[in-house]
Amino acid sequence: MFDTIKNKIYHVEILPPKQETEKLETDLENFANKYNRVMESGYYACITDNAMGHLSFQGTELIEELELPVYPEQIMIHLNTFHTREDLDNILNTCRSKGIKYLLIVSGDGSERLPKLQPADIGAEGVESVTSVELLKYIQREYAGAFVSGVAFNPYEPEDHEFAKMERKLAAGASFIITQPLIEKNPVVDRLLDRYPDVPVTIEAWMSKKIYLLSEAVGYEIPENTAYDPIATLKMLHRLYPKCGVYLSLLGFKTQYDLIRDTWV
Amino acid sequence: MKIVVCIKQVPAANDAKIDPETKRIIREGQKAVLNPFDTYALEEGVRLKSLLGGEVIALTMGPPKAEAVLREAISVGADRAILLSDRGFGGSDTWATSYALSKAIEKIGDVNLVICGKQAVDGDTAQVGPGIAAHLSLQQATYVMAIQDVTTESITVQRMHEEGYDICELHLPAVITVLKDINVPRVPTLKGRLASQKCDIPVWKPADIGAEPDKIGLDGSPTRVVRTQPPPARNTKSIRIEGTPQECAQALVKDLRLRSIL
Repeated sequence: MFDTIKNKIYHVEILPPKQETEKLETDLENFANKYNRVMESGYYACITDNAMGHLSFQGTELIEELELPVYPEQIMIHLNTFHTREDLDNILNTCRSKGIKYLLIVSGDGSERLPKLQPADIGAEGVESVTSVELLKYIQREYAGAFVSGVAFNPYEPEDHEFAKMERKLAAGASFIITQPLIEKNPVVDRLLDRYPDVPVTIEAWMSKKIYLLSEAVGYEIPENTAYDPIATLKMLHRLYPKCGVYLSLLGFKTQYDLIRDTWV
Repeated sequence: MKIVVCIKQVPAANDAKIDPETKRIIREGQKAVLNPFDTYALEEGVRLKSLLGGEVIALTMGPPKAEAVLREAISVGADRAILLSDRGFGGSDTWATSYALSKAIEKIGDVNLVICGKQAVDGDTAQVGPGIAAHLSLQQATYVMAIQDVTTESITVQRMHEEGYDICELHLPAVITVLKDINVPRVPTLKGRLASQKCDIPVWKPADIGAEPDKIGLDGSPTRVVRTQPPPARNTKSIRIEGTPQECAQALVKDLRLRSIL
């Protein structure tokens, strides 16, 4: 993962079509176009797993059904704890058979329609619920050597708690870290970098102009009419965090994609 | 085993509007979804099929756009689906609806088990499942929270009530209505969704199922809706409390007491 930083390779988030879509064919075509574009650029395609609890199709089934090319070094599958054990194993086995090795393990956002892994499902003892830590342990145990797993870091949570969680995640087998979106220099992320100099850290850059959508994540109200320049912020983040990779969330493929090529200098 | 799962398209919870004249839910132009309780009925049907073999048939009555929930049923494992749709069915109450569904079930033939969700979230009556059983003179169990055993001859279920649950054995064919405790519904796969878009869904009219005209629609409905009103919108405003954990806890308790919640 350090190579992605050295070689200035972006992680580009791609949201799969939602289950409720009424224009599935169009959405599938758009997904395939975005995916292929990321592959051709040599970037990482990071495919989310029911992000924000919205029921969506899985990255692995999209790759299979749409017969998309798989370049193992360019794909990262998000995986959260809202699955049945059977679905979880299906996803992991598909990843393994396709050579996909990078996973981002998160606890995830649930919804009424999503099943939640129970500790007994994955042999987790002494815990009341399954978090990314238990999921990581399961993958390390049952799929030893098959995957390179990363985890999320939230600098907006209480710091001691977040660092304690990070210790558990790294002990469970995480080997890289991706932060929540940053829109300015963040002292907690600075301390994360100081504490784990040998762990590749990728910071998330918020590429939507709707910065107010981050209010809940950052923990303070961002007014709806706040002006925000994602490309300028991205350049600033490169300057502030030259030793970090960058994960682009909600990137505009029509308006922004061509602009990012020359941003990481 | 031939299993019929009766499902219903309902307005999305936040979109429900009521016609002030007719007192009925306005369905035109509203976002519609599969009745949440029916997802558990479908899952149970598909699960039983995987155990015993056979076929799962999704059945609904509604306007042409109700076909969408039948396709959703196929995407999660139903083998085929049938839509009852005709102006003659319009305005049916639960008795007329259950009559129409029972006639369709008779026409499907050799059905071993009918599964319904415990109720639809638009009408909240929980009457259609029992109505089907009554029209077909079948044994029934409502509020089923678990199936303990099932064979080609009988089904043993746990039926929830206020003080616990009863264990009931029913001879098949039978009707059950299920609670959400019974299973965890699967999420449709892309493969299933794509397959569901390609399949043909037959549309049956009253004459196709041998329904008597005076037993369906408004004429066949002994109940009349006198008054309905939408529930008050929920206040979802969130408040962020700042301070140390102790200060936050104290402020939270104080606020809850002021609101007479504590």
